[in-house]
Parts: sequence; C-alpha cells; structure tokens
Amino acid sequence: MRNPKIITEHWGKIDPLKIEDYLNVGGYAALKKFIAKMDPQKALDEVKISGLSGKGGAGFLTGAKWEIVAKQKGEKYFICNLDESEPGTYKDRLIAENNPQILLEGIILAALTVGAKKSYIYLNGNFEKAREILERAIEQAKENKFLGSKILGSKYLLEIEIFSGAGAYICGEETALINSIEGNRGEPKIRPPYPTEAGLFGKPTVVNNAETIANVPWIIQNGGGRYSECATKLFVLGGAVKKRGVAEAPIGTTMKKAIEELGGGMQRGKDFWFAQVGGAAGRLYLEKELDAPITGSGAILVVDKTANLYDLLLSWTGFFRRESCGKCVPCREGTFRLNEIVERLADGEISDRDKEAMLDILWTLENTTFCPLGKFAATAVRDAVDKLGVVSTNYE
Amino acid sequence: MKIIINNKKYTAKVGETIFQVCMRSGIKIPTLCGAKYFHEGLCRVCVVESGGRLITSCNTKVAKDMEIVTESEKISKARRINLELLWADHAGKCATCKKNRMCNLQKLAEEYKIENFHFVPRKGEMTNSEEQKLLRDNWSRVVVENENPCISRNSEFCVECRRCVSVCPEHKFGFNHRAGDVVVGTAYEKVLDCSFCGKCVEVCPVASLTDQNDYAKIIEDLDDLKRFSVAVVDLGTPEKIKEQLKNITPEQNLEKIFLELGFEKIINLGEKEQNREDEIIENIKTDYARKEKIDPKNIRTFFVSSKIYKKAKKSEYLDYVLSEREVARLVRDKGKMVAGKIKR
Repeated sequence: MRNPKIITEHWGKIDPLKIEDYLNVGGYAALKKFIAKMDPQKALDEVKISGLSGKGGAGFLTGAKWEIVAKQKGEKYFICNLDESEPGTYKDRLIAENNPQILLEGIILAALTVGAKKSYIYLNGNFEKAREILERAIEQAKENKFLGSKILGSKYLLEIEIFSGAGAYICGEETALINSIEGNRGEPKIRPPYPTEAGLFGKPTVVNNAETIANVPWIIQNGGGRYSECATKLFVLGGAVKKRGVAEAPIGTTMKKAIEELGGGMQRGKDFWFAQVGGAAGRLYLEKELDAPITGSGAILVVDKTANLYDLLLSWTGFFRRESCGKCVPCREGTFRLNEIVERLADGEISDRDKEAMLDILWTLENTTFCPLGKFAATAVRDAVDKLGVVSTNYE
Repeated sequence: MKIIINNKKYTAKVGETIFQVCMRSGIKIPTLCGAKYFHEGLCRVCVVESGGRLITSCNTKVAKDMEIVTESEKISKARRINLELLWADHAGKCATCKKNRMCNLQKLAEEYKIENFHFVPRKGEMTNSEEQKLLRDNWSRVVVENENPCISRNSEFCVECRRCVSVCPEHKFGFNHRAGDVVVGTAYEKVLDCSFCGKCVEVCPVASLTDQNDYAKIIEDLDDLKRFSVAVVDLGTPEKIKEQLKNITPEQNLEKIFLELGFEKIINLGEKEQNREDEIIENIKTDYARKEKIDPKNIRTFFVSSKIYKKAKKSEYLDYVLSEREVARLVRDKGKMVAGKIKR
C-alpha cells in the first residue's frame, strides 16, 4: 500500500488563511466524529493503538503521556510546542504556515482527550508569519464553533492561546517552556515531578510537538490500527542534495533512501562526506553508516567534501555557547570554553593543552549536565572527534 | 527505608535527598551551590554514582534499595573538570581577595588539586573604552557596585551558584543574560536597594557579595595609638565569629583576639541589652568618655554584629559596623603583623 501523506497532503493546495478550504478537503471530520461517536477514552485507545510517538526528537509514546494526564482529575493544560529552534529544522513552522487548521484540529482533539480546558501554542518569537496565520485560524475556528464554550453544540469546551516566546532554544525543552509561560526565566526544572504530574502552574500538563499533534486528526478519522501500518514522518533535507526542503516519508526511512529519493541525490559535482541528523545537536554519519533509519527530529544536513569543517565546528559550538541557559556549570562554562578552543582551531592545529581540555569538556557535558542540552552540545563535536579525527593534528 | 552507600547499609527517610543522608551519616560530599535549606543542582560538584550513572546528590531523593557510591574515578573526574571550569575565572586572584582562606571555592580547588590551567580568565572589570574590544575577545560582563551602604557587589568572583538568588527574602537578585554571559544581578542592573538583612552575604561562597566597609581606614584607626577603639559585640555574634575563625586561627579567646586587633574596650551585649545597642553605643562617646576623661573625638566605636543594615545608620556616635566576616578578615590580615597597636 502506498503511504498516504498525513500532514503534507493539502500543502500548497489550500489557502492557510481560509478555513473553508480546509473544510472542503474534509477538515474537521475527525472532530465531528469524535463529538458524535467517540468519548475521550475511545480516542485515547486509538492513539495508544496507533503507536504515535513524539516527533520532536525524544520519541516518547504519545498515548502513554496522554494517559497519565487523562487519568488525573481537576485542572489540566495541553501545550503545543512550536518553539522549533534547532538549526536547519523548520517542519513545524511549515505545518503552521501551510495548514494551520490541521494543527488546531489536532490540538482540540488532544486537549479534549486528556481533559484540558485551556491549551497553549508555545510559538517561537521569531515566527511572525506563523503567528499571524495561527491567530486568524483560531478566530475562524471559533466562528465555526470548533473552539469555545460549546464545541459543535456538545458539552466540551476549549480555549487556545498563542504564547510567543522570545526565541530561546532551551525553551523547546518542556520544563523550560513551562517556566517561560509562567513568566519565569526560561530554564529547565528538575524532574521529577514530570510535567504530566505537576506542569504548568503546578497542574498536570501534556506538552506535544506540533508535528505529533498534526497526526492526531488522521488517527481519529482512520483509526489507530491503520496509522500504525502507514505512519509517516516529516524530514527536513538540507545541504548538498538536489531537492532541499520538507518531505513526508514513512517512519523508518533510512538516511540513504532519504538522500537519494527525497533529496534527489547529491548535487552535481559534489562528493558525500557525512550527514548530520537532527540539527546542530545531531550525530554525524559517514557513508558506510547510512543504512540506519533516521531518528530524532528528522533534520538531515548533507555535507559534501568541499565544506570547511572548521566553519561547521564554529557554527555548532557557537550555537550552544549562545543558547545554553547558563544554569549549570558544565553547560554554561563548558559550551563557552568549547567554542573558545574551536576558535583556536582556525589554523587546523590543536595544542596538547587544548586537546586535553576539549576531551574533558566533552566528557563533562555528556555526563554531568542538568538537562539534555549539555549532551546535545557535545554530540556533533564528539562525532567530529571520533569519526573525522578533529583533535589529531591536521584534521583535514 | 534502607539504602546502600559505599557498600554499607543506611536508613533513610522518605523524601530525603542523598546529600542529606550522607551529611547525617558523616559521609563528606563537596558542594558549592547548595546551602543549608535549598539545593538547585547547578554546580554539578556534588555528583555521586548510582547504577553507573552520575547523579547530583543534592536534589535526587532516595529510593528504596538505592545503591550509591560517593567516591570513584568517574566522580573525581567530574568534580575536577567542573571545578576547573569555575576556577578558570578565579586563577591568580586569591592573594588579594577579601575572602582569601575563607572561600568555599578555594578550599575545593585545593582539595581537588586544580593545578593545570587550561583556560584564560575572562572576567574582570572593564572601563567603557576597553569594553568593546574585550567583549569581542570573549570577555564577559562584570557588575561592580559599591553604591549601596551595606553590601559590596563584584561579580568578577561570582560562580553563579544562585545561593543569593534563593536566599533573598525580597527576591532582589536574579540571572541576567544567558549562557556564558550570565551575570547575577538586580533587575535592570539598578543599585541594590533592600532592607539589607545580609543573608546573601552570609551564603555567598566567594567574594562576590561582601560587607561594604572602609577597610584601610578601619586598620588605620585600630593601629593609631591616639585612638581609643571600643567594640560593642552583639548578642550571638561571638559564636558566629568563632565559626568564621575556624580556618584562620586556632586562637579561641575572643577577648584576646580583639585586644590583639587593637581594640581597647570590649562590651558584650547580654540578653538584657538585646536591641538596646543604640543606647549603649551613644553612651560611649558621652557618659563613658566624660567618666574616663577621654576626648570623644579620639574614640572610635565599632558595632560588631551580623546586622549589616546598621552600616547604613552610622552616626557621630557609631563609626563602624563590623560583621563576623570582617572580624575574621581583620584577624587574617593582622596575623602577619605585630599584635596590638603599632607604634608610629
């Protein structure tokens, strides 16, 4: 069976500013089905059967997350994480810009399933266009009674608020995101308690990535069983491939297939060197390792042999040196010093002192940081050390 | 519940952290960001090993049958690297530091033998003309503020441990900027204006928050043979001074210490005189001076107390307010000199 396009089906064919376009292609059928024939428990079961997992990178099972919150009574929140600030990743932004209503329908279904009456879209502050589109979409959804006090005449109610962050990378981490909405400094909190137990304003909270949520209408409409057979993922191709951009392909697509089929192969005259999968925090894969399926957020940067490794290292370490929140010692000082050492690599040589310090910093970032950002900051550089031989003199 | 620390069984209560159990059982774990009542898990120095993973002992709660190791090669490595990263900004500043020999970071650096410097210090006060160039060269911002009457702030020494942020009852401090540029400071970098309870100075592990004073003048007055220096020691302060002196001198007789510092008279406030210090201090330059036939102009009154807000209330009757830390600092510096007044 050909894999359906679950998220990108109507991209470019419908006007994101008009809800009628989305309704004409069968939009909000899932919500109508939910209201007419289903209850939250049934919807939760479908999501659990579907095996839907987080598309932001961590891959936690969505159904399991929802169940923890759905079981609890009282006030709850549902948050759509649209903070997407990983370099080279822009799939969530494109969802909001191309088909905002599918995202809203997903949020409504998810919020009603877990029993939340208030939902936030945590939007990266830099996404001006997406914000305008989403604001308009929410208004239109309200006019059509998909949102508000009596959704489609039922007892369900939901309010969606767009919360614009200031564009910090760390605010994509769910506890930092919650801190940000609460008005605190955007930095991670200690877990446990997990947001599913004590999240936004101390209430049980589900935080889901926008892409994850955009899958929900299809699952409710077509059943979790079918989804589990043909689940897809958005991949973001960048670098030295012919076709760059976002492509939807089955889950488990290998890197090789993604580069050759989705990306149309290497650009003319460029030789493959390595691929970075998952943005600046991603691992590096050499040609012989490309048969593995793509994991994480789905971004692939294809680097050819003309690229300057020093520039890449500077860009990775510079990014984390800027984006560390500054809370814990190894990350705050480590990312700074790592960037400092890389700056000294300009001539392609590394002193023994720097080499020792670099390995120490990578180790402490991997083992002792407060939140996963520290590990992310080390990943690419670690692979550059292990696979590309950065710290051996004359790495080129 | 039972937990296993270093292959030995210990009893722990539900809700306790690993750090608390270890402290109670006499197992030493170094920590920098934690103070008595709160732990943020920021310095990553208190790491211990559990199931092969490094976890912070200060904010991890004990679980049943948990197995913990508090010393291993991996743990030492983590502590060494994280301390070195902090130490990098401090290297070479100890000799002239107000908190020399009274500093938590210095003590830990000695204990973990931070001796090889991989990094160049990047913190220092900058004047405007240099600023642009140095910031470009990766120097970080430093806040130096001596405008308020009680607390001297200098973030050059700051290790961003957040103790002051957590302890302040008025929430005056916070993290400004982010990543390597983090500076602990007040909102909008305004001059600190609070009730000056002094809790932040008490918890600061380094010399970032210290008591505001005119140190050179204090030494001069104490040393001057013409001056008659009177110390009014507040209730409860002697114990605090002894605690501070632990690292500096084995001498325990406070009277003797004060005399050696150059004080002529010591008045210890007792239970009855509690909160009557103003009255007693006023007495010194008036009634007492008349009685002893000393010119009040030559009398210097010192109020030795941890109530550092008194520094803002100096008057013709009260010349200096010394906290327990400043007394320790005087003892530290005077240790090298001749005891008592210096003949000029």
